[in-house]
Amino acid sequence: MVDYSIKIGGEAGQGVQTVADSLSRIFLRSGLQVFTIQDYQSRIRGGHSFTQIRLSDAPLCAMRKEVDMLVCLDSATCRIHAGEVSERGLVLGALDQSDPSYSRSVISLDFAAIAKEAGNPIYANIVAVGAVLGILGFGINLMEEYLSEVFRKKGDQVIRENNNALRKGFQRAQELYGQALLPDIQQNRDHSSVLLNGNDALGLGVVLAGCTFYSAYPMTPSSGVLNFVAGRAKEYGILVEQAEDEIAAVNMAVGASYCGARAMTGTSGGGFCLMTEGLGLAAMTETPLVILNAQRPGPSTGLPTRTSQGDLEFVIHASHDEFPRFVLAPGEPREAMNAVIRAFNLTERFQVPVILLSDQYLADTEWTYPDLQVDEKADSPHTVLAVQGYRRYVPTENGVSPRALPGSGPGLVIADSDEHDEWGHITEDLTIRLSQQEKRMRKIQFMKSAMRSPRCLEGEDVTLIGWGSTYGVLYEVRNNLREKGMRAGLVHFTDLYPMATETVELARNLPNPVVVEGNYLGQFARLLERETGRAFPRRVNAFNGLPFFVEELEMRIKEILS
Amino acid sequence: MNNAFDNHAKTAWCPGCGNFGILDALKEALEQLALSPRQVVLVSGIGQAAKIPHYLNSNVFNGLHGRSLPVAFAVKSVNPGLTVIAESGDGCMYGEGGNHLLHAIRRNPDITVLVHDNQVYGLTKGQASPTSEDGFVTKTQPQGSLSKAFNPMSFAISQNTGFVARGFSGDKEGLIKILREAILWKGLSLVDILQPCVTFNTVNTFGWYKKRVYTLDGHYDSTNRIGAFEKSLEWGERIPLGVIYRHEHPTFQDKIRDTFGVDNLVYQGRDSHLVLANEWSRFR
Repeated sequence: MVDYSIKIGGEAGQGVQTVADSLSRIFLRSGLQVFTIQDYQSRIRGGHSFTQIRLSDAPLCAMRKEVDMLVCLDSATCRIHAGEVSERGLVLGALDQSDPSYSRSVISLDFAAIAKEAGNPIYANIVAVGAVLGILGFGINLMEEYLSEVFRKKGDQVIRENNNALRKGFQRAQELYGQALLPDIQQNRDHSSVLLNGNDALGLGVVLAGCTFYSAYPMTPSSGVLNFVAGRAKEYGILVEQAEDEIAAVNMAVGASYCGARAMTGTSGGGFCLMTEGLGLAAMTETPLVILNAQRPGPSTGLPTRTSQGDLEFVIHASHDEFPRFVLAPGEPREAMNAVIRAFNLTERFQVPVILLSDQYLADTEWTYPDLQVDEKADSPHTVLAVQGYRRYVPTENGVSPRALPGSGPGLVIADSDEHDEWGHITEDLTIRLSQQEKRMRKIQFMKSAMRSPRCLEGEDVTLIGWGSTYGVLYEVRNNLREKGMRAGLVHFTDLYPMATETVELARNLPNPVVVEGNYLGQFARLLERETGRAFPRRVNAFNGLPFFVEELEMRIKEILS
Repeated sequence: MNNAFDNHAKTAWCPGCGNFGILDALKEALEQLALSPRQVVLVSGIGQAAKIPHYLNSNVFNGLHGRSLPVAFAVKSVNPGLTVIAESGDGCMYGEGGNHLLHAIRRNPDITVLVHDNQVYGLTKGQASPTSEDGFVTKTQPQGSLSKAFNPMSFAISQNTGFVARGFSGDKEGLIKILREAILWKGLSLVDILQPCVTFNTVNTFGWYKKRVYTLDGHYDSTNRIGAFEKSLEWGERIPLGVIYRHEHPTFQDKIRDTFGVDNLVYQGRDSHLVLANEWSRFR
């Protein structure tokens, strides 16, 4: 099995992402499985950022820490990451081979100088792409095709110049290296696989779910979804409004939904704080609403571009007093796409807010999928006509009252954030308060029946428990532990709240649980403790802003078990 | 008289409240415009003024303090066939919701914004509001308000709001006329309505206003922005009522129709096969 990792690093603005995108597309189109992660700083130029690509002929779902090829677009990259390069690894870039700090094989290639020879120094990153392909032993035809696609609009000359730079980099690397690094790899043209990151997947889910109104205030790491949907707004008839703040964003989404749009807003933790008032509004008016919270470390503005799973307890309790809500945390991009469709169906069926928890890791991580199949189907509208004497909040057995849209009939649709009667009119009659609050809270039992069980892979020696974006790395670590003779299991949750009775029962009986999550307090472990009445003392937590890498997580699990 | 917008609800307002005049004028204006209650959505925030939608027959979204404008914007965007009126007090629109007013004006959705301006917070029992005079004494400002009064008319004109008017709840006929024009206006119209609070504002009373207000006559040119700006600064001994400024420009609805070809955002369904067929190649 081929399992190879390439890290491309440089300053923001140097084109790290162009190199990484080009390479990962070529690997994908060569029939390989690709997995990529991004790391960047909260700045526009300079600093240090990198993208890491892992490629294999078998499915991938996580990133190893170890790097087999380090591509340095600047000298800092080598200094920062040289220690991660494997025994067999290579370092590429305009580097001085005699520098004793580089213990690995250094292939000295001045990308910018070669680009200048090829015609223009701005093509340095394309030279780097050519060099990597040359060393790995890939042909450059697919890459030439890719460049033609990317630069089609810019014209033949730009394509020619790029191809020139590509060939120069390719040839120079082959001359210097003289062999193909991955000669055994099967390269077949693949026309079906796609490479999808979490934010694009969420955006795709927004489109597929039939969303017609997306309002947001830009905030990393949720902005990718806003951009994705905005880029398709015209094509699919979606109003994407950049609100003046998150308060406006959530109120707009609620207003749009009241009138029959499929409405959603997206933000990160800090923005979600501002939205909590609007979350309560959606709950009190029983207006469908989907909110994406792409978590990042905080509190306050925290680490804007890093990852975290620290908002779970917050979103479960956000806004004052009590009301039902759903909290879903998809584990990988395709699941994220499906989760958005599910979120819209749930919010319309139950008329309670649905909070989708994502994070920077999920947002920016690309997974390979053999095709883009969708598992969920968007429901048709769950609305009735406003008949004469229509009562928006008429009590029902399951708490869900038929929802009509204003203007749809002779009846009036009255929604109120104050406590209200069956018609929606403001009231201070405390008997009505009781019956309306009971009506709203009655939904919880019914909602539980819509919650899905966690993914379960059995094991006796240890059961790894996780939620959201840690699914992939837990899956690989579990398999590694089993290969090493440990009977390891995995239980991964995407449906976090409210928890179904069977799920609580299942969690109560898991053998040797270790809860792994990206926060300090062990918030999911605490939720499980509350729901099950059982202690979950063994926990692996990370709150350094970085995702879990395979080797590290494996080591920490072994430590906690010994 | 049979008014389709009458719902004969019992109000929670004090006897003699300035809100009654506005409620009557609004019902009358809607009736005169021959609108049907099912076409109208009243969006409000929080406060005594914000209860108004409950007291007349129409669709209602009574939301959060200060947040009526984002909701009203969205309602109109989703279903442009509806007549959307956002209505609340000076605290709600100019205080908590000040930022939203600024940005609603920038967007210029085809909505009517009615502000019940009584220069005091009534429902929370008498604190200074953004439009209270400098030095206005309350329990919370016992030494008098230390801040200047917000001038909604000058502000709105400075932002080139399409329709800027002032009404008075003690002048029902004049107010009905302004409300009709405001509702018919294509784009955002802001009507600041002087509305005495009979309980907590002992300065700006009906009598105080009656002595000062006058209606702008036919010679006044409301399309002259500089003149309008000057007129908006008139306050004190003489207070002008009527349309102070008007300026036609494209509405948000015009722009989304022209840019995106979208006329109605009520969800009807979307073909996921078509979406996938479009999107598939973008991820390869």
